[in-house]
Amino acid sequence: MTLALDAPAARKSWRVSDPMLGFLLVLPSLLLFLGLIVYPLFQAFVLSFHDVSTLTLEGEYVGLKNYEDVLGRSEFWISFGNTVIWTVGSLIGQISLGILIALLLNTQFRGRSIARGVMLMPYMLSSVVTVMIWQWMLNDLYGVVDATLMAWGVTDMPVPWLTRMPNAMITTIMIGTWKLFPFVVITILARLQTIPEQLYEAAKIDGAGPFARFLDITLPQIKSVLLFILLLRGIWDFKEFDLIFLMTGGGPQIGTQTLPLLIYKEAFGQLHLGRGAAIAILMLIIMTIMFFIYLWYYQREEKRAAQ
Amino acid sequence: MATVRLSTLKKVFGTNAPAVDVDELKIENGEFLTLLGPSGCGKSTLLRMLAGLETPTSGRIMFDERIVNELDPAERNIAMVFQNYALYPHMTVAENVGYPLKKRGVPKDERTARIAEIAALLKIDMLLDRKPRQLSGGQQQRVALGRAMIRNPAVYLFDEPLSNLDAALRSYMRNELIRLHAKLRGTMVFVTHDQVEAMTMSTRIAVMEAGCIQQLATPDEIYERPATKFVAGFVGTPAMNFIEAEVVPDGATARIKAGDFTLDVTQPDGMTAPLQGPLTLGIRPEHILLGQGTDKAEITVVESLGNEQIITIDTGRRELVLRSTSGEKHRIGEHVTYALRPDRLHFFAADTGRRIGPN
Repeated sequence: MTLALDAPAARKSWRVSDPMLGFLLVLPSLLLFLGLIVYPLFQAFVLSFHDVSTLTLEGEYVGLKNYEDVLGRSEFWISFGNTVIWTVGSLIGQISLGILIALLLNTQFRGRSIARGVMLMPYMLSSVVTVMIWQWMLNDLYGVVDATLMAWGVTDMPVPWLTRMPNAMITTIMIGTWKLFPFVVITILARLQTIPEQLYEAAKIDGAGPFARFLDITLPQIKSVLLFILLLRGIWDFKEFDLIFLMTGGGPQIGTQTLPLLIYKEAFGQLHLGRGAAIAILMLIIMTIMFFIYLWYYQREEKRAAQ
Repeated sequence: MATVRLSTLKKVFGTNAPAVDVDELKIENGEFLTLLGPSGCGKSTLLRMLAGLETPTSGRIMFDERIVNELDPAERNIAMVFQNYALYPHMTVAENVGYPLKKRGVPKDERTARIAEIAALLKIDMLLDRKPRQLSGGQQQRVALGRAMIRNPAVYLFDEPLSNLDAALRSYMRNELIRLHAKLRGTMVFVTHDQVEAMTMSTRIAVMEAGCIQQLATPDEIYERPATKFVAGFVGTPAMNFIEAEVVPDGATARIKAGDFTLDVTQPDGMTAPLQGPLTLGIRPEHILLGQGTDKAEITVVESLGNEQIITIDTGRRELVLRSTSGEKHRIGEHVTYALRPDRLHFFAADTGRRIGPN
């Protein structure tokens, strides 16, 4: 009898309230979030107001001077322009190539599953490998691209793919497109497979040709996925570092230098950690604005679709 | 509006038996023809060949005097209503209904007028600004009909359009389709596995099995004189009873021996040969009379529908299903006598299942 009475009491002492339990369960991820995201972000924010040297990690508070320096220099604006050109260019490339390949892979043909596997290859390669392959192929002495072009008589001499402007930017965008389009293919292909075949049949009967069927059925159906890709890939491309850094190092001169490369150069090349942090914070602000524009547009579309 | 003619039409998928194998089928101008059959009988494939969504392996499809085999769906001037309606989800009702006209380059004013006209006819005029997902099943059905009607097609094709609706709405839409057909007088081809839809709406029914048309006739004819045992068993609820029997001819009469009973019938008229040998006897549930004759049985199942009872009796050798409309309430376990109406028997060849008589 005593035992039976004691048991619930003993258990009760271990019991935590539901909100408390919830908090405890979230705590590990919360700590990781605070330690790995909030703290560095805060740190960068603080650094951007100090004239800190990368070697000593010490320096005095200078207020907005880093920002004034950065915004007052044309190199920042050129790099910003390059970032926009790179992002928009590679987005257009990835999305149009991605849609095209996804449509192709959505049709019935022999060896389709093999083709789907092969298509993924560029995405699975690391940036270093991608860059090495392309630099080798584009080499002016022994590269296969120039050799082929000259053998076909398209050009008389090797093309300066990465050493002239605007060649370097175009080449970088094309290689970025080649490396990154499989992501677009996978996401769009998944959506394409859920479009009921009968919609296309109905449209055929209603007199819609292949192009009209794409515009009137496929495009509206993949629109939400496209918006999602646009946001995600937009953010990723905007802060792309390794591919461009390895490919051109930002050159010729600063022809392909994007903001992430400029941050690297300021912080580790010229040892102005504070100034690098200031550019990083500016980039964060730009991307936040982009995100809110997307969010606003997305919600408007959702609202319109729900009507 | 058009007459549709099929000859030696065949569709083979891979190395399988033909999905469709039709020698000859003529659908008259303004006719409501139903392709009826179980799933996998080829009825949908046949319809899709008419639409131009499937290419025949061989044979010919003609609309009036024109061979349409090589024509695209759009060029055939047909309209199709799909089982799941296939409305364009991001377009409004008005845009959905007007889409076929838009793709044919009809100017906007004319389109708007036509949409309004059709919408009024189908009573969807208050829904024109809505998207398909905001509509009920019945409303979506009407929009799909509107999209089909808007350009006066030569042939309307319906692919099980009522099967996604609930029972009450289905019966209502059946009624609406009958009215619509009377008003439009269009050539309509309707695919269904539901014999009630086929019986109630059709001018003629083509019953299909394994790609072939088993019988092409009016609903009454199909019910009264099914051409094969398959048709007899497929049309009618509850299904026809089949009894394996041996027939011994005796002058103008024939003696039918079925083991548990013997029945003398007059040889039916118009027969090439007298009834004799092993055959399958068919009798519909309403033609088995309870409480008559001397043959005995026990009631094993009673399904009461209020105005009638569907009763299963065990004769000791087989079970028979019959329909009782007498109003007398029967119970399970009751011992009864029963008799088959000799003038309502159907005879089918034991081997081929073809109808022998009466004709």
